[in-house]
Amino acid sequence: MKKIFAIAWKDAIIRFASKSELIFFIILPVVFTFLLAGGTPSGDDDNRIRLLVVDEAQTPISQQILAELENSTAVRSEVASRDEAQKQFDDRRASAVFIIPTGIDIASLQNASAEVELLQQPNNINATIAERAVQTAIRRVSSAISAAQSAVKQREAKQAFASEVDKQAYFESSLKLAQSIQEDAPERVTVVEGLTEDEVDYDPRSNSSAGQLITWVFIPLFGISALFAYERQQGTLRRLLTTPSRKATFLLGTISGQVVMALIQMLLLVGFGILVMKLNWGREPLALFVLLLCSALAAAAFGTTMGTFIKTEGQASGLSVMFGMVFAMMGGCWYPLELFPPAVQNAVKILPTTWAMQGMLDLGLRGGGLIDILPEAGVLLGFAVIFFSVGVMRFRFE
Amino acid sequence: MIKLLLIGIKDLKLMFRDRAALVFMLLAPFLLTIGMGFVTGRFSGGSSGLSDIPVVIVNLDKQDLGNALEDLFNSADLADMMEPLDSHNVDPEAARHLIDNDKASAAIIIPEGFTESIIPADGAMLDPNYVQPEPVKIEVYANPSSPTSAGVVKAIVDEFISRVEEGRTSGMTSIVGLMTSGLVNPQDMASEAKASFQNVDQVESTALKLKTNQEGADAVDFDMLSYFAPGMALMFLMYTVSYGGRSILAERAQGTLPRLMISPTQTFQVLGGKVLGIFFMGVAQVGILILASTIFFQVKWGDALGVTVLILAAVFGASGWGMLITSLARTPAQVGSTGSAIMLIFGIMGGSFINLESFPPFMQTISKITPNAWGLDGFTTLALGGTLKNLAEPITALLVMGAVLFAIAVVIFNRNGLVQK
Repeated sequence: MKKIFAIAWKDAIIRFASKSELIFFIILPVVFTFLLAGGTPSGDDDNRIRLLVVDEAQTPISQQILAELENSTAVRSEVASRDEAQKQFDDRRASAVFIIPTGIDIASLQNASAEVELLQQPNNINATIAERAVQTAIRRVSSAISAAQSAVKQREAKQAFASEVDKQAYFESSLKLAQSIQEDAPERVTVVEGLTEDEVDYDPRSNSSAGQLITWVFIPLFGISALFAYERQQGTLRRLLTTPSRKATFLLGTISGQVVMALIQMLLLVGFGILVMKLNWGREPLALFVLLLCSALAAAAFGTTMGTFIKTEGQASGLSVMFGMVFAMMGGCWYPLELFPPAVQNAVKILPTTWAMQGMLDLGLRGGGLIDILPEAGVLLGFAVIFFSVGVMRFRFE
Repeated sequence: MIKLLLIGIKDLKLMFRDRAALVFMLLAPFLLTIGMGFVTGRFSGGSSGLSDIPVVIVNLDKQDLGNALEDLFNSADLADMMEPLDSHNVDPEAARHLIDNDKASAAIIIPEGFTESIIPADGAMLDPNYVQPEPVKIEVYANPSSPTSAGVVKAIVDEFISRVEEGRTSGMTSIVGLMTSGLVNPQDMASEAKASFQNVDQVESTALKLKTNQEGADAVDFDMLSYFAPGMALMFLMYTVSYGGRSILAERAQGTLPRLMISPTQTFQVLGGKVLGIFFMGVAQVGILILASTIFFQVKWGDALGVTVLILAAVFGASGWGMLITSLARTPAQVGSTGSAIMLIFGIMGGSFINLESFPPFMQTISKITPNAWGLDGFTTLALGGTLKNLAEPITALLVMGAVLFAIAVVIFNRNGLVQK
């Protein structure tokens, strides 16, 4: 036990000999978590998509459209001049610009010649959402006109109007009626968040926090391979052959030391999530600890196996960062797995990051507990067993 | 000049002999670009990564509108986007259970009486005691770990309801108008009402048209990989320039730099050669990645001259950062770790991971210190059909950035006596 502790302590000293290690240990993970979570604001902010609106018509109809946009849950309209809006659009500082040109009034809507314009940045999801919001707003405004026009047609089919004045009066009364029917329309859709109602406050920032935690902890654990390579290059592994220390003691000391450091790093990041970002990681501490421990073991095992294939410290450093980043991305730590094609979603189940992330989401987003994360923890332990077995079998001092 | 080139080419050769560095400079960004291709739907032909969203539909209404909504989700139009699960004999509780177990992105529960709450039953309007029923709400039970997919499902339901409301408004306006005009016989009322509410979910207002720039002859076919591929290349470029900078300190530590100094070579030639080496490495790296993206993913980069000049300017700007990091560091290891940290920070600040629009305005302003932001701005301009003349701003910014940072680095080098003979 003393030997194991001594080896673990030696590795900690080596790792933190350079102060820059702290950048990777805590500073960068915190910065990334904060910035990426900032991309998914919590419910306290107005996180609607900014939509620039150019109102050149300045008519009651354009005002109605603006009023409808004000009620949108998806976009936050901001009125601007055409030049300013065009400049922001050209500079790609605005996802979408909605232009209501001159001449948009009741008359133009009645003779179906009215056309408004939406400029969208290509392949931009915010612009797509803005388009839906604009469609909804203009549909509400124009549908009242269409309803009134339809009423006039049906009335005319039954009996011709005595004069154009009568026809216009009928149209206007129908328009008022249609607008009042619209205003009185009840809500017909309700959205319920699965398994989080009354249990967990849904917070999309949990996704960013979990993803960054896994990313930044897995990379140094994969870097165990660099530790082995460094010791081999220095010749210190060969010296161990002359001491009464077994291979298992050395491996246990190195791996357990790195796993403990990973757990400390994880707890710091979880603490940051709870204290600074007000996330609900502290709801099921035992389940969280089990999941973090299993994740750390799986990553450490992978790093151990890597260390038996890689010859130099430089190779190990580069590959551990590369594998860490690629595994994180493909495991859903950077972007939700739902964005990947179904075949890829199935294929990435061979990565430990996928299971670690799934477990974190079960805890943070789905209100799960210890029982719910046991499948993920089991798979992660399975990874650990397989990779540790390969690593220990292949391990050589020279 | 020949000496400059020789030193630069020597460093470039050394880079290509370092397999570990090559893996990180070329393979890592290439693999991450592939990942971005999956996320953005680039490899699955979509405009986003979303496809075959698993959804459960529980139709307890079993009437016109409930059936219409169910048909909509099973329609050919949504075949690529949606994958309704077999929901025969699935009750609302079972559907919610499927979502809770992460088997689908959302459940749509259409309650009994939904149609009747919108379309009055035959003869109902003639009944003097007729009372409009309480509105019945469709429930969208969303999977919190698939927020984007659930959002798409809700948007489709909202769109459907919006059409239904449009139809209902139109039907009711017509009927009430005819009734108040006394033009409908009571015996004809039921059939008139029925006719008015027919296909209530398919009404489409044509009074006000929306013209978008995503359709027609002026539409731009923007390839997301022409944003993310350079995004990743520019991020790892920061590693490459610090790797090159590290070689300056390594040469000093190994004693080869002082040897160069006592040869008949001017100080500026030695340093200039090293800088040229860093520049060559960066150009080679970004060039290879862009070439690979073109060959493997058929990414269209736009104006070739613009791309070439932009690569040179971006590498120059990044090299400035590389030299600054080198001038401030004492050991090659410090350059390496600082360079890696800067690479990641610039990567996220410069838009390599997520679009800068997601950041608050002050962050967007700060991002201008990164070559990534300017480089991506230029590459996006080119992908949208721009040419070299549209790149004046990013190219100028990158050149100024490089020049200023080089000047600062030279001052610090001189102060630290790095190149003393």
